[in-house]
Order: sequence, then C-alpha cells, then structure tokens
Amino acid sequence: MTTPGEQTEDLLRRLAPRVLGAVVRRYGHFDTAEDAVQEALLAAAGRWPRDGLPDNPLGWLVTVAGRRLTDLLRAEQARRGREDVAGRRAIAEWRLAPAADLSAAGADDTLILLFLCCHPALPPASQIALTLRAVGGLTTAQIARAFLAPEATMTRRITRAKQRIRDSGVPFGMPASADRAARLRAVLHVLYLVFTEGYAGETWPLREDLTTEAIRLARIVHRLLPDDGEAAGLLALMLLTEARRAARTAPDGTPIPMAEQDRALWDAARIAEGVALVDAALSRGAPGPYQIQAAIAALHDEAPSAEATDWPQIAALYAVLSGMSDNPVTALNHAVAVAMSRGPRAGLDLLGGLEGDERLARDHRLPAVRAHLLELAGERAAAREAYLAAARRAASLPRRRYLNARAARLDDDP
Amino acid sequence: MKYMIMLYGSQQDYDVLAGRPGGGPVWSADDVAAMHAFMAEWNDDLVKSGEFVDAQGLTAPVHARRIRLREGVPVVTDGPYAETEEVLAGYTIVECDGFDRATEIAARLARTPHPQGAAQAHEWYVDVRPIAGSPAELEL
Repeated sequence: MTTPGEQTEDLLRRLAPRVLGAVVRRYGHFDTAEDAVQEALLAAAGRWPRDGLPDNPLGWLVTVAGRRLTDLLRAEQARRGREDVAGRRAIAEWRLAPAADLSAAGADDTLILLFLCCHPALPPASQIALTLRAVGGLTTAQIARAFLAPEATMTRRITRAKQRIRDSGVPFGMPASADRAARLRAVLHVLYLVFTEGYAGETWPLREDLTTEAIRLARIVHRLLPDDGEAAGLLALMLLTEARRAARTAPDGTPIPMAEQDRALWDAARIAEGVALVDAALSRGAPGPYQIQAAIAALHDEAPSAEATDWPQIAALYAVLSGMSDNPVTALNHAVAVAMSRGPRAGLDLLGGLEGDERLARDHRLPAVRAHLLELAGERAAAREAYLAAARRAASLPRRRYLNARAARLDDDP
Repeated sequence: MKYMIMLYGSQQDYDVLAGRPGGGPVWSADDVAAMHAFMAEWNDDLVKSGEFVDAQGLTAPVHARRIRLREGVPVVTDGPYAETEEVLAGYTIVECDGFDRATEIAARLARTPHPQGAAQAHEWYVDVRPIAGSPAELEL
C-alpha cells in the first residue's frame, strides 16, 4: 500500500525534469528556474495529497513554477537596484506564452537537462548533486542525507554548480552532434557513480535509495536512447548487480563473497530483465565497457553455483575490458577469474604485475585477493599474513571484521 | 550553542573491535551489533529532539597522515601514531541549550555496551567542547 503522499512524490519525481525543461524553454534562467521548480514541487507535495490531484498536474506545476520564477526574478532585479532586461523579458513572455503542447518537448528536455547537469565544466560531485535535484527531483535535504553530507554543504554545491552553468553561457539545447557521444559518456558515468555510491559505505546505513534512483534514471536514458548500446549496458549492469543485493551482506553487515551467497535470495526478475537487455545490446556488436561488465555480471547471475560459473568466459571478458581502460580493479578481477579457470598459481602470477601500482598501494583489495588465492593454493601462513594486511588497509568495520575472521580461520589447524 | 562530543580510540582498540586475531579476546559479531544498536538509538534521539547537527566516524589511526615542516618543506608521514596512542575516533556535533545539556547527552554514552572479556586498555572517557563562534559564547 502506498499512501497519497508517496503516490504524489512518485508523480512529482517523474514530472520534475519535464516541468523544469518547460520552464527553462519559456523563460531561460536555468539556475533560478531550477529553484522555482523545486518550490513548485514542494507546494504540490503539501497540497495534492490533501486536496487531490489537479486535472493537469504538469500544467499546474509549470504555471506555479513560472509564477514563482517571475517573483524570484523581480526580487533579484530589485536587489540589484537596476534595470534587468532579462527579468522584464521573462515577465513579458510569461503573459504571451501560448499553452504549448508540453508533452512533445518533454522527452528531449529530460535529455537536455541530463547533458546540462553533467556538463564537463562541473566537478563530478556537483554533476551528481545537480542531476539528482534537477532530473531526479530530489530535494537538497534528501541528496545531503544520501551522501551523508550536511545540507548546507549540498546547498552550496548545487548553487555553485548552477552558477557555473550560467557563467559558461551554454544554451538550453542538445549538444552539437560532434560532442554528443562524449557528453553521453559523461551522463552515463554520473549515473554509474550514483549507483556505486549506494554500495560505497558497505555498512549501516545502506543507501538503497541511491541505487534505486540510479536505476530509475538509467531507465529513463535507455528509454530516450533505445539504440544506444552503452545506455542499455549500464542499465543492465545496475540491474544485474542490484539483483544480488539481498545476498551480499549478513544481517549484521558482514559482507558475503559471491561464492558463499545464498543464490535463492537473488532477484530473478531483475536478472531476467538485465540479461535480456545485455543480450539485445551485444547483438548489435562493438560493445563498450558497460556492456562488457554487464555481460560478466550476467554470467555470474545465471550460474547455479560458484563452481558451475563459466570462469573461462569471464576471464576472456575481463581481458577485453582490461584492453579498453587501464583500471587496476579490472586487472584484479581478471586475476581472480584466471585463478578460477586455470588455477590459483596462474592468478597469483597476474597479481605480481600489480604490486607496484600506486593506485592500489593503500587499498585493501590487492592483499585481500592475494590472500584468497594463496588460501586456494594451500599456502595458509602466507594467506593469513595477507588477510591481516588487507584488514589493516580496509576502511569499513564490517570488511575489517570479515578479513580478520578469514585470517583467524587459518590460525587453529595446521 | 554548538558542542562537539569526541570519542577516542587507539589502533589497538580498532583492531580488537575488528576482531584481529593474535591478541587477547576480541569483539564478537553480537557485541558489535549491540554497540551499533546503542549508538544508533543515541543518535536517533538527537535527530528526533532536533539537537543533532553532524556526526562522523574516522577510519583507523594507521590510515592517518601527518604533514610536518622539515626545513621549510612539508613532509608527509603515514600512520604517525603509536599502537596504543589514543586519537580522535569520531565526533558528534549537537546544538542544544547550554553546556550542561551537552554534558548530559555525552554522559549517556557511558552506558555503551562492550564485551566483558575484551577489557579496555584505557579508562573510558568522552570529551565535550563548545564550538567557537556560537552566539552564546559571548555570554560566558
């Protein structure tokens, strides 16, 4: 059962980017318009559950946001104490604006907003915050809570991001076609970061709200760009990863490695949807990194057990992925897959090449993987030392406890 | 008026909490869960009463870096603390009616459950300090 309040929130979140798109299209002033839309959304969240939905919710929001924008621009103008041509223009246009067909431009507007919020002039943290507010329709307080940051910090981050967009003078429109591919990569990367942030804490509180939101936004992008393989790949990767969520941690927060997870807890519906997406995307050829990662996740999700997993195929896919970008975590995963398909020694040989990598120097993952492979190879003392070293490097308490427990297991018997 | 409530721990304390084998008795999963539940309730009460401002926990002291000046040049040292040296482990900032209320909030932490076996190497304590720049500071 959802309450009227929750139903309203769902509707508002879906309408948010379309309202903002419509308001910016009519009046410009992306930064102030975004504030006005937030206020209109808040007003609706208070009123609709009580009074019922208006006949045309989208039109209601655009009208209220437009009026609010006019007020804000007037106040700004008065504050500056001088004539503000833009402000007057907005007010004049408001009176003249025809009752446009809002839905036709809605889809394009959502994409344009995504491109705008993920503008390369912004640092990633700002791209994320602005995307969640302007496209996701989340309030600043919700975003701050999700990222465990004070609300004042998030407010400043969003305000500064909007100022930068205003100062950069980018028009509200689709990027030039020559830039489209690179800009879309930035959008997908931002959604990927929102998703991984939901897993970053590894501990209480679990931030499922972030993964849910990332999937919702990835779905929108896939719907708007159904022929883009990487948009499909990213959505598939998220679904296939999220499918394992319930099995990933014990009730006390201890991480459970995939080999020991209860596969009955995996979400079959999400797996089916993810597999279908990745199969369709791969059939188009020339897969990008999200599609490869989704293909790997699909092989894991479809395997009845760790032993019955198609490790040679996973190792081959990681080799392809390693060739696309120089990422030490990909190299670690490749080593694990090689160890599973050709034996722990082959995996340990690959790890040797990562020893000097500065990017992993303080990370727990290299010693943790080495410990695991040494344990598989029967070298208990060396495995124990590596687990202890990994535990010292890990940041979260559940992970430190897990790695120490693996070390302790190798204590008692010979 | 804002106050910072500060908790301390040494690398040794962090290791015992994380179940590192080799030393004495360590915390069990149930011990950790009981401690988390207590801390969560303490925190939630502050959120509900509107006194909560911010809280953060810090990673183990081995992850710390110290920057010092050596002949005018900043030099970085990793893990500058001794194993048993107590350092800031986490803090909670509250905004409440005066030092006595902040002290009362902090004192509730004295009931934090901890396992009988894993004796603390140090006497338990928590510090409360007024944050500079609050309006009430002028009245002191």
